[in-house]
Amino acid sequence: MDLSQIPLFAMLRGRLGYLSQRQQVIAENVANADTPGFLPKDLRPFSFAAQVESLRAPEGVSGGPQMTHPNHMTLAVGGSAGRAKAKTQTVRDSETRLDGNAVVLEEEMMKMTDARMSYDAAIGFYQKSLGLLRMAARAPGK
Amino acid sequence: MADVKSLSGVTQAIAASALKAQQARMRIIAENLANASSTSRTAGGDPYRRQIPVFQPTTVAGATGVSMARVEPDPTDFKSVYQPGNPGADPKGYVKEPNVDPLIEALDMKEAQRAYEANLNVIETARAMESRTLDLLRK
Repeated sequence: MDLSQIPLFAMLRGRLGYLSQRQQVIAENVANADTPGFLPKDLRPFSFAAQVESLRAPEGVSGGPQMTHPNHMTLAVGGSAGRAKAKTQTVRDSETRLDGNAVVLEEEMMKMTDARMSYDAAIGFYQKSLGLLRMAARAPGK
Repeated sequence: MADVKSLSGVTQAIAASALKAQQARMRIIAENLANASSTSRTAGGDPYRRQIPVFQPTTVAGATGVSMARVEPDPTDFKSVYQPGNPGADPKGYVKEPNVDPLIEALDMKEAQRAYEANLNVIETARAMESRTLDLLRK
């Protein structure tokens, strides 16, 4: 059994990957909090549609989420699969220092805590789903 | 720097490079403070000139870390104090004092400390996230 073949697990894995990558971008911002002319970066927000799109099996192959009803969420065509791109953020002049650095340490700390909490949530979800699989695999009455 | 394999390892390597840079910055601040009243030994000569650390982004384990690029002298003017008895005094009796302001150095030190703490926090969070993932193996 391949866990990554199960859409739920594949999605959670994508989410975990996104969050640790975001953590890395935040670390870059914090590390360069005193570098002249450095502008903070961030990832594009995690989008459900893009995830579904990246999981969707090619035409004619079963497996992966499919649109089977017109009321289903529409899938963005050409969703970003794999690694997300870090984009430079636009910052207000009031938060840019004289040397051109625009990193706000407090904001980065908030983002980091946010990423950590989401990561914990996703891990918890992963663990629970694994528990469900185990429960299904267990012999009855044991 | 050693080879880094995991994403959280890269995060920690970035933060570690920043710790190193801030540490170097603290060293420069200490130099400035220690020499806050180092006047010239020759008559009419220049005293200690304040040094300024300059950071630059550096590639660490494939990501953007930070390092101290160079140390630049502070071009601001020296203060002159009338001290005819001082061996470093010029013919008119004025001694040039270093352009170090202890208040600025103290604030700079506080900033370096804050940045250092922030980076420690990053390492701590990255570590916690990784150990949370490894906990999946436990049960």
